[in-house]
Amino acid sequence: MIFKIFKKELKETIRDRKTMLIMVAIPLLVFPILINVVVGVSDSFNESASEKILKIGIIGDSNDLIVKQLKSIPASFGPKELIAYNGDSARLFKDQNDEVIDIALWYDSGLEGILAAQGTANVLWAIDNTNIGYSERIKGYMNIIETEERLKRYDELGIDEQKLQPYRITYQNTASDRQMLGELAGGILPYIFIAFGFLGCMYPAIDLFSGEKERGTIETLLSTPVQRWKILIGKMLVVVLSGLTASFSALFGLFVSIEFLDLIPDPTLMAVVSKILTFPIIIKLFALLLPLTVFFAGIMIPISVYTKSFKEAQSIITPLNIVVVLPAMLGLFPGIELNYLTACIPILNIVLTTKSLIAGNLDYILLAISFLIMLSVAAAAVFVSIRQFGKETNILN
Amino acid sequence: MITIKNLSKEFKLSKEQRKEQATDRKFTRAVNDLNFSCKPGEVYSLLGPNGAGKTTTLRMLATILKPTSGRIEVCGIDAVKHPREARMKIGFLTGSTGLYARLTANEIIDYFGSLYSVSSNTLKERKAYLYDLLDMNGFANKRIGQLSTGMKQKVSICRTMIHDPEILILDEPTSGLDVITAASIIQLIRDYKAQNKTVIFSSHIMGEVDLLSDRLAIIHNGTLKHQSTMEEFRKEMEGQSLTGAFIKIVQS
Repeated sequence: MIFKIFKKELKETIRDRKTMLIMVAIPLLVFPILINVVVGVSDSFNESASEKILKIGIIGDSNDLIVKQLKSIPASFGPKELIAYNGDSARLFKDQNDEVIDIALWYDSGLEGILAAQGTANVLWAIDNTNIGYSERIKGYMNIIETEERLKRYDELGIDEQKLQPYRITYQNTASDRQMLGELAGGILPYIFIAFGFLGCMYPAIDLFSGEKERGTIETLLSTPVQRWKILIGKMLVVVLSGLTASFSALFGLFVSIEFLDLIPDPTLMAVVSKILTFPIIIKLFALLLPLTVFFAGIMIPISVYTKSFKEAQSIITPLNIVVVLPAMLGLFPGIELNYLTACIPILNIVLTTKSLIAGNLDYILLAISFLIMLSVAAAAVFVSIRQFGKETNILN
Repeated sequence: MITIKNLSKEFKLSKEQRKEQATDRKFTRAVNDLNFSCKPGEVYSLLGPNGAGKTTTLRMLATILKPTSGRIEVCGIDAVKHPREARMKIGFLTGSTGLYARLTANEIIDYFGSLYSVSSNTLKERKAYLYDLLDMNGFANKRIGQLSTGMKQKVSICRTMIHDPEILILDEPTSGLDVITAASIIQLIRDYKAQNKTVIFSSHIMGEVDLLSDRLAIIHNGTLKHQSTMEEFRKEMEGQSLTGAFIKIVQS
């Protein structure tokens, strides 16, 4: 009987365009579109930023030492145009404010003499840091100029540069590329699945309970000899399947983006990602997502059963999204790890377990604890749903 | 055969409802100590103004609601203790019943047939019989969302009768229908009676009641105000119209 209910509800859900859009189309397309847009915008921004000719206003004239040094920096470090203000600092900074020039360079008037006397000259770069990339380019110029001047001074003082370096320090990263990826990006994957899983559950949960009450079909169903808990489970299975389909569609969209749209140009990173997106890991991921999705269905169904209309149910369940996503977001912070405490926090434990799974350092005891906790909350949610669905005041308007 | 004894139903009042009704009572009594029975081959009408308790009574008979107290017997089955067994014998239809808009009429009938565990051969036969009877062949494969109100009601009736129930419970079955569709439903009730089945129905339309009923009951505020055969009722009317007699009883 449960299967009969499930089959009919599934058929009806599949025929609902809105649900299908949220369950399959949006999760499937979100990654290819998002990644394409982000990569495209980022590439075009980087390209235009590196090609941008920086208009640098200089306080002195074009014969000053620092200006000559700036001119000698090859265009491959970023093209630039130098405009001399011949000591008119008021006009220099006004022009920067008026965006006539991009950057203002001020330095001591006797800069060349100060350097010749082995003193320290003041150099001020006035940069509007909201213009991304300007600061990095100027730092690059100054690094070249400063190094050149320093090495000249070592020569003048007869100092061996090596003698000024007591330590040769190497900071070696012992984490593998996979571990790094797991730590930095591993949290995002379950976060996305949680968001889509929740969204995938939402519309069928509302439609199959509140919607059915609103349309007056529930009374007919309750007059059949099918036990109420079987009706509930049959419907719940469709809600869970919808949530998993939304998550799976998101994963499939991500997989297509990576494998076929050539969006990861770094072959090392691509090899790591390919190692992660393997069949056993995906199966484990879905095994973790299953109790989570049942839990989602279990918290949405009692609300949907209790409310009188689709709109009312939607207005309660939509903000619940934030409550669910909050622990998932906690898992994105680098310092938070899977331990005996976090394994007991529903949702967060799934994010952290997935992170460990991706990083390849999963502790199976913590996995078991996380899984059992999620199973328990899912079972509790199903129990609450059955109780709510059994209350005649809830199921009849 | 359906028999009800001392049937009562109370609903818990929410804080808002108590405020609206200006009462301190935690419960409201929708049905109060009802007693009646309906035999096979008999059409029993339940009359009453809005909020009288008709729908609650019929929902209890259909075992959708559990009585607070009292007994319901459906074809010898204690419907309160064994609701699932009782439901196998009942076909329940309300005027406000909705249908699944994204399914076809045929899919709905198959679905309900399967929920009542009707065998595929019997289902085929019943569908052929009811589709002819209700003139449904022309729209059986159309989705419900594309059908008119009358067509939908025919699908609902077909759905109600697909398992060939012993007892038909109809809550305002002609509500909102055009006269032609309403007439076909009236004919169907007559046919059902002729097959020695039990029919209980509620209605606001006195003409229908006069046309179909063997016996009738009038309830008001959940209490039975009048119960008699249709013949006895007509005699008691003393020249009044049916509506006039009904109003008189309700207001007494």
